[in-house]
Amino acid sequence: MADAKKYYAAAVLAVWLIIIAFFMVLSRTLDLEVFFVLALIGLLVVAVLIDGAFSRPRYMRYIGYIIAAGVALFAYIVAQKILEILAA
Amino acid sequence: MTQIEREAWAILLILLLAAAVAYAHVTTTTEEYSRYNTDWNGTSALPAEEIRDLRNLDTAATLLILAPDRPFTAEEVGYLQTFLDAGGRVIVADEEGTANSLLADLGSTMRVRPQNLASLERDRADPGLFTVSVVGNTSLFAGVGTVRVNRPAAVTGGEPLLETAILTWEDGDGDGRISGDEVFGTAVICAAEGNLTVLGDESLFINAMLAENPQFIENIQPIRVDSIHSRTGTANPIINTRLWIQETPPAAAAAAALAILPVAWHFGRKRDD
Amino acid sequence: MNRQVSHAVLAAVAILVLVLIGVQAVDPVLYAAKNISTAAHADPATIQKRSPGDAASLVPLMDELLGETGTLALTIKLQDYESAERDLARYNELSRRFDRLVVTLDVSGTDIGEFQQNNRQNQDALAALLNDTRRFDALQRLEIEVRGDDEQHMTVIYEGEALRQKMRETFSAYARREAATVRIAEHYEINATPYQESVDHFAEVADAANGWQEEINGGGTGTGGTGSGGTVQSPLVIAVTPVEGSYGDVLLVGGIHAAGKSGAPVEIYVDSRLAATVALDDDRTYVHSYRVGRILAGPHLAYATAGTIYSNVAAFEVLPKNTSITLSLAEVNGTAVACTGNLTADDGRPVTRAPVLIRVDGETLVGAETDGNGTYRADILLPAGEHALRAEFHAAGYPLNASESPTETVILRGEGLSPFPFAAAIAAAAGTGWYLRRRRSEESTPAAEPEAAPSPEVARLAPQVSIAGLPPREAATVLFCTLRARLGLPETKTPRDCARIAPAYAGFFERYERIRYAGETPSEEELTDMERIALGGDADRA
Repeated sequence: MADAKKYYAAAVLAVWLIIIAFFMVLSRTLDLEVFFVLALIGLLVVAVLIDGAFSRPRYMRYIGYIIAAGVALFAYIVAQKILEILAA
Repeated sequence: MTQIEREAWAILLILLLAAAVAYAHVTTTTEEYSRYNTDWNGTSALPAEEIRDLRNLDTAATLLILAPDRPFTAEEVGYLQTFLDAGGRVIVADEEGTANSLLADLGSTMRVRPQNLASLERDRADPGLFTVSVVGNTSLFAGVGTVRVNRPAAVTGGEPLLETAILTWEDGDGDGRISGDEVFGTAVICAAEGNLTVLGDESLFINAMLAENPQFIENIQPIRVDSIHSRTGTANPIINTRLWIQETPPAAAAAAALAILPVAWHFGRKRDD
Repeated sequence: MNRQVSHAVLAAVAILVLVLIGVQAVDPVLYAAKNISTAAHADPATIQKRSPGDAASLVPLMDELLGETGTLALTIKLQDYESAERDLARYNELSRRFDRLVVTLDVSGTDIGEFQQNNRQNQDALAALLNDTRRFDALQRLEIEVRGDDEQHMTVIYEGEALRQKMRETFSAYARREAATVRIAEHYEINATPYQESVDHFAEVADAANGWQEEINGGGTGTGGTGSGGTVQSPLVIAVTPVEGSYGDVLLVGGIHAAGKSGAPVEIYVDSRLAATVALDDDRTYVHSYRVGRILAGPHLAYATAGTIYSNVAAFEVLPKNTSITLSLAEVNGTAVACTGNLTADDGRPVTRAPVLIRVDGETLVGAETDGNGTYRADILLPAGEHALRAEFHAAGYPLNASESPTETVILRGEGLSPFPFAAAIAAAAGTGWYLRRRRSEESTPAAEPEAAPSPEVARLAPQVSIAGLPPREAATVLFCTLRARLGLPETKTPRDCARIAPAYAGFFERYERIRYAGETPSEEELTDMERIALGGDADRA
């Protein structure tokens, strides 16, 4: 299959999201911010691992934009937490 | 590995995960005080043995009647009386007053009076979670100075074993503070008459509270829980079926046969190679 | 289902999920195990811990207070005034701690509150007893000195009589409180014996004063002024009308000075503190309107002095009154809440300049004060969320009963959005975009260079001979690129692809493939051949 890597990446990402959801339910705390940050870490790790040095397949073309949006939201969350700590 | 095999493995993995989750869901319950409830308000972590028959009990063990919700027949009261007379220890843990009929039948003067007790002697925000001190001399509370209780009821009569601090009141209006015509006074949480002990707080045995009073739990070992009358059972049919299979040997043999026979038949028949 | 439809469905589901999450994004903590409890019990792991507070020290403190009354009364009786001062200071300190503890633990509505009020009155009584006894002692010594001087002797007698009356009245009030205090002490299992002993000591001190006074009058020195029945009658008389009053009432305190001159100043004392100075009228009477303000409920004493002449002691009673306090909340700019309210006594009179406490969430206490109309106002800064506030008036030192308002809740929005997180988000997005752009352009510029190099070479190579200085394998690579460009095949085609697309040159490409990938080295002859083909030689030579 020509894009086996694509399916592997999607499967790994899905399993990672299930693992974080499982641990969140186990600890009886469902926090969207924590979930988002861990999911972003998973996405970044997967993107780095499947990125080939010599070619840019179609499914990798727009991942840059998604990562940029994710990092922007991450920076927003971090800045808000810093403000909370400073205000306390 | 070929594509088909990979997909098959992936599906198998997902099915296994789902089966494990379903199993965990089906073999535990959320009923309060249940032995199959692994959550905070179950008694799955209590090291106790369940018994269904009150006859010929071993007097070295402590019989625990936890939150009884079924009435005792005259026969059963007789067995309990014989057990007490033979030197066995019985602890009746009840917070709602349902054990009062049993206590009357046993000829005891102790009664459980359900009250919304609140105290200032506490280190948590909830006024119902407070510490009581041990008065009286008994092996139940040997080595224990204070016991942390969780929304207990008061016990009248008998010889007092656990008493609250003076800054305790009955919170009639439920506002968490002393107000109106509420007055301070001590209350007795646990009393004993001979070998019969009445404990006004059945919450001491739930999973979340076992770590708060470890010495007390150790002192009352070994524990036998009267599972017919206590609320430690469950209404979940699957768990009950599994229990029934474990307990009746013919059923267990039948279940084992059901599992083994197809496998034996599969491997035993002649194959065409 | 073809790919378009499945992609469309996936995109729609993704957008739906993002919208649902976005709705919750304002409050990202969807669920946290907090205060899990059922009717029968609560999960202690989820209940917030709080410091045990000083609830355990409340009853021992009451015990200490009662013990202190005993020692204080004893030292006063023994006339050891230095120790008595120290004991009194310690007693005041303990009382202050007790008052603070009662307010913090919110138990002033119980019999502990009653104990607190009795304690305050006992405090006042014992302090007055100490001062009176000391003065009485001094008077006794003075009396002996001035026996020869009738006038001075008379003033000493009058003052002694005033002091005696004060001590007697104070004692009777102190003894009246004994029963209630002992009852409360027994309820909390506190040792009340020192307190009962203090009542006995107090009685002995008052009796000693009586004894002295009888002795003096029995001795009969001094002319005039001795009334019937052996009691000394001072020329300065004081009376309080009406004898009872409550907060805000005006009592008329006045009398006659039989031996006084018009215009002479008369000082009026209430509970040994100077209340007013008035001048005698022409008919030698004086009067003062005393407004009942911040004074404890119960019996009080008033007396007057004119120069060195002391009057008799008049007792009056201040009756307690109930109060009511209101509270209304208003949100101020999202981070603070403005609390206002009125504190009035039951008959409608406002309670002015009184301290009011506002209890926030059952734990924190904020102080405020009422103004001249009995209205108070406080602005409290609180974090965002829901808060429960209650205003309480603990009538410390007032002849009023404590009161509290109903609990009001307020929800604070919290601060508005600040621009900093948005700026951080935009900066991060820009940074990521720049980084990814730069990485992509790095990849493409090294790819562009080898392209740029051969194309001018192709233009130059065509009429020229092959590059002799290059090693063989690199020369083969250059020739392959040249031929591929000449044939118009895209850069991405591998030698095998080229062989497939241009079968006429298949031999060239296959040979090159072996050179490039199998590591073979072409010979001079082969290079020459390849060069000829690449530069546009014979097709049938392949």
